[in-house]
Amino acid sequence: MGTTVEKNTGERLPVEIAGIRFQNPVMTASGTFGYGSEFAPYTDLNRLGAVVVKGLSLKPRQGNPGPRIVETPCGMLNAIGLQNVGVEAFIKEKLPYLRKYSTRVIANIFGETMEDYSEVARMLDGVEGVAALEVNISCPNVKKGGIVFGTDPFEAAKVVMAVKKSTRLPVITKLSPNVTDIKVMVRAVEDAGSDAVSIINTLTGMVVDVEKRRPALATVTGGLSGPAIRPVAVRMVWEARKVARTPIIGVGGIMEAKDALEFIIAGATAVQVGTASFIDPNAAVKVAEGIAEYVERHGTTVSKLVGSLEV
Amino acid sequence: MESKDRKILFNEVAAPGCFRLGLEWRSAEVTPGQFVMVRVSDGLDPLLRRPFGVYGVHGGRGKNPLKGNVVELLYKVVGKGTRILSARERNESVNVLGPLGNGFPEAGKDEKVIMVGGGMGIVPFLMLAKKLGDGLLLYGARGKSEAALAKDFKGTACRVKVSTVDGSVGAKGLVTELLEREITKDSVVYACGPVGMLKAATKVAAAAGVRCHVSLERSMACGIGVCLGCAVRAKTHGERENRNYMMVCSEGPVFDSEDIDWELL
Repeated sequence: MGTTVEKNTGERLPVEIAGIRFQNPVMTASGTFGYGSEFAPYTDLNRLGAVVVKGLSLKPRQGNPGPRIVETPCGMLNAIGLQNVGVEAFIKEKLPYLRKYSTRVIANIFGETMEDYSEVARMLDGVEGVAALEVNISCPNVKKGGIVFGTDPFEAAKVVMAVKKSTRLPVITKLSPNVTDIKVMVRAVEDAGSDAVSIINTLTGMVVDVEKRRPALATVTGGLSGPAIRPVAVRMVWEARKVARTPIIGVGGIMEAKDALEFIIAGATAVQVGTASFIDPNAAVKVAEGIAEYVERHGTTVSKLVGSLEV
Repeated sequence: MESKDRKILFNEVAAPGCFRLGLEWRSAEVTPGQFVMVRVSDGLDPLLRRPFGVYGVHGGRGKNPLKGNVVELLYKVVGKGTRILSARERNESVNVLGPLGNGFPEAGKDEKVIMVGGGMGIVPFLMLAKKLGDGLLLYGARGKSEAALAKDFKGTACRVKVSTVDGSVGAKGLVTELLEREITKDSVVYACGPVGMLKAATKVAAAAGVRCHVSLERSMACGIGVCLGCAVRAKTHGERENRNYMMVCSEGPVFDSEDIDWELL
């Protein structure tokens, strides 16, 4: 897993996931980078390993009422409600812009039913410029009383199978950390055919406004992100690595290269930068630069670092 | 557009709990109503940038009030972020992203501008007053010390009327009561302040049959239309399904008050 060709110093960074070569291991986390174009005035998209776009659903979604975000110690809690333009508008209006760049594009998808997932995956199959799908399974299944797909290994596996049947693209499954044992989830989605896993999505959290005695978010609970969750994410990547047969993409509170390297050394083949892009639109590129400096200084390659943790 | 470290030229008390922050900013160009996102410290807590409206641009050649080499912000200490900012010293620097968002639109040829500012809602109007060369500012201040900020408008040709709820300065009562007295069918209303004040100003303008533009404030993480955290509900429903929410940072912060669903704000 995560093998690369490493002939010269320029080849220290590339990684391979599900047969796709990425020029460096730094991706943007879904929901924190729009559809890419929003960041073009601030950063060089060509210097990223991949752009993972905002989660796409079958139909456009308007999202949740406000307040949608609240800051927390070293983090933030959000309940945006997966607002997005829908898969059709993405293909027609957003993707053509991204095709101008050499950077890989990963389409993050989600649904409220198995059929939704299948259909979105089918619509993206064979579309020029999409390198892979990342499946967000941290959504409630409306047909099963709202149980979250990603917290039940059987439901999660069914989603992955449905998506795999509908596309020839590599499928990355983005796992929820809101489970007792991440290893069970890794095995379940891998057995269902998942080609890689992203670990982790946001942790469910809650903030109370004590003066008003009301929740800070309109939806009461939300997803916690930012550096506050990083140790949890690194631990889950390390645990997942023990059982995973497919590459892991580490996500959670990466602010700088050192943070990304923690994930890589713990077992991630690539990483995603999320909340940091809100604070510094150039954060992901800086992380890639910092990793390049590190592997140069240590005379190694990213793929050699993957899972190199000595315990 | 970029995020840059900006040197602090001054960070001084403007009124109790209220500060003026001057930032060195070569060739700044700002539209009245625009804002910047400031990283108040390099640490991780607070994590997010803070949005601040631009109060003024100075030090440029000529008399263009929208261009210069110093960007001035006026802010009130309301929490951890602003408290840290208020302790930052001259010659230190802070990272700033901006200017961002859309400012107030141009007034029509025959329209007479009435600016309505509540509390720190006065911020966007100093630049606007300088740009307009005339106009009327109605300023609802919290008390005597805040009302002192009206002095900043002395260098402009803008008329200023102050109201305070306790009557300690100017007219006693709400600033929107002043608006009711001053508004005519030739007015255009620009308002910035607490949501209650904006709602009232919208009603007064609607009753007079004139346009009203409001500047909104919302918690936001990015300031560039990506996090989708600062959503407000748009009045237009139906076909434009995906347009039901507007982002304060990228589609605002100034909106036509007719476009906002005030019931859900």
